Amino acid sequence: MPVSPPSFLQLRLSAHNDGETGEQERHDIDALLVNDPQARAQQDSLKRGTEAGRRFFEDLLKEPVPLEMVRTIKNAPLPRRAVRLPNGPRSPVAFRPSGPQALAGCLLFLALGGGIGYMFGANPAGPDISALAAPASDERDWLDDVVATYRLYERQPKHLAEIGPDGKADILEWLTTNTGVGFRIPDLSESGLTFAGARLVAAKGHPLGVLFYKRSDGDGDVVAITFAKSSPDLGKSIEDIRSDTALVSWNTALATYVVVGPSSAADLDDIAAKAAGLI
Amino acid sequence: MSQPTAISDIRRDLVALLPRLRRFALTLAASAPEADDLVREVCNRAIQKSHHWKGEGRIESWLFSMMRSTCADARKKRKSEAAIDTARGTASIEAEKQSNPILSMPEGLASAFLLGEVEGFNYKEASAILGIPRDLFASRLCAARLRLAALGVETAERRA
Repeated sequence: MPVSPPSFLQLRLSAHNDGETGEQERHDIDALLVNDPQARAQQDSLKRGTEAGRRFFEDLLKEPVPLEMVRTIKNAPLPRRAVRLPNGPRSPVAFRPSGPQALAGCLLFLALGGGIGYMFGANPAGPDISALAAPASDERDWLDDVVATYRLYERQPKHLAEIGPDGKADILEWLTTNTGVGFRIPDLSESGLTFAGARLVAAKGHPLGVLFYKRSDGDGDVVAITFAKSSPDLGKSIEDIRSDTALVSWNTALATYVVVGPSSAADLDDIAAKAAGLI
Repeated sequence: MSQPTAISDIRRDLVALLPRLRRFALTLAASAPEADDLVREVCNRAIQKSHHWKGEGRIESWLFSMMRSTCADARKKRKSEAAIDTARGTASIEAEKQSNPILSMPEGLASAFLLGEVEGFNYKEASAILGIPRDLFASRLCAARLRLAALGVETAERRA
């Protein structure tokens, strides 16, 4: 059915019905509707169309939404956002050698290398070279221990923490004394996390404080904030996934912190950013 | 839902809005399956761009605008691929249009009616969502009402 463009009167009436006219125009149209039968007929037609359209669109809302569509949206991964975490202390002096300094450095290393080579050549009964060249990757790194601790305890819902959430004062005193890191227990309820207690463990021989949180939205996922005074392996903030476990770390002048959670936790960097500001 | 906080999960808002998103998509797309594809595409984009949503105004406004521009992009792409469109596909779309009064309305009328009359956007907001001048929106909304009134008369006559 061809549609002719609305007349000027129809346009005025339509805008009047929507309250999109000025004060004077509204009075004019009200007067027109009182005195002009044709205007009233047009008004009735517009109202009929409005009623019919409303009914039709309301009915559309009753159609069921495909379950697959709902699931796809609910399970869609959230994008990872760049989060600014505190950086470790930086040296105020930049290393920028001049040309002659670089040349002198090269010559020095050449002489050192030559000297060491001469010493090994002259003394074949020295230490076993193969032992010196053994790959360092055999050593578990500090973060592996942090992840292992998390994976061990997140599966122990009844024995997650040594001191439960009610003993905050005990936790503060105990972990501060043993790790040497002054801290606060961050309130992460805005991120849907409830504090669940704390533990003291060792990671690569260093005491490590662990604060456990549980998701309060029913999933029951465990997220841990860990901290140690020294940072044996870490020189900078990292985000990584190891053994289905996600971790985000940052350093301050006094300590190294790592937030650990399931790899499905898309908001771990957000949690880390909040914890960094609160701990 | 209109004013989500920064920490709210946009996926929850999208699921709650799905019936309305599908309804708006139906006024833009050529068929119901195409409308559902459009909704999926827009939801995916909204999740990926959720950091752009600052929680100001109605989230529906942002999503409807995105849907309109996504549909326009898809339409341009389809035009360039029109050569490979089959006659069977065109025939099935035509049949669907016949059975659905919204799809049978001239382009732009149904979406104008939905935004202005049903979703409650004023002329300025609705014309911004549709990317058209305010006067053109007012004209389409009026034409849609007249068309729907005529459709109602036609249906009543057919029943009689």
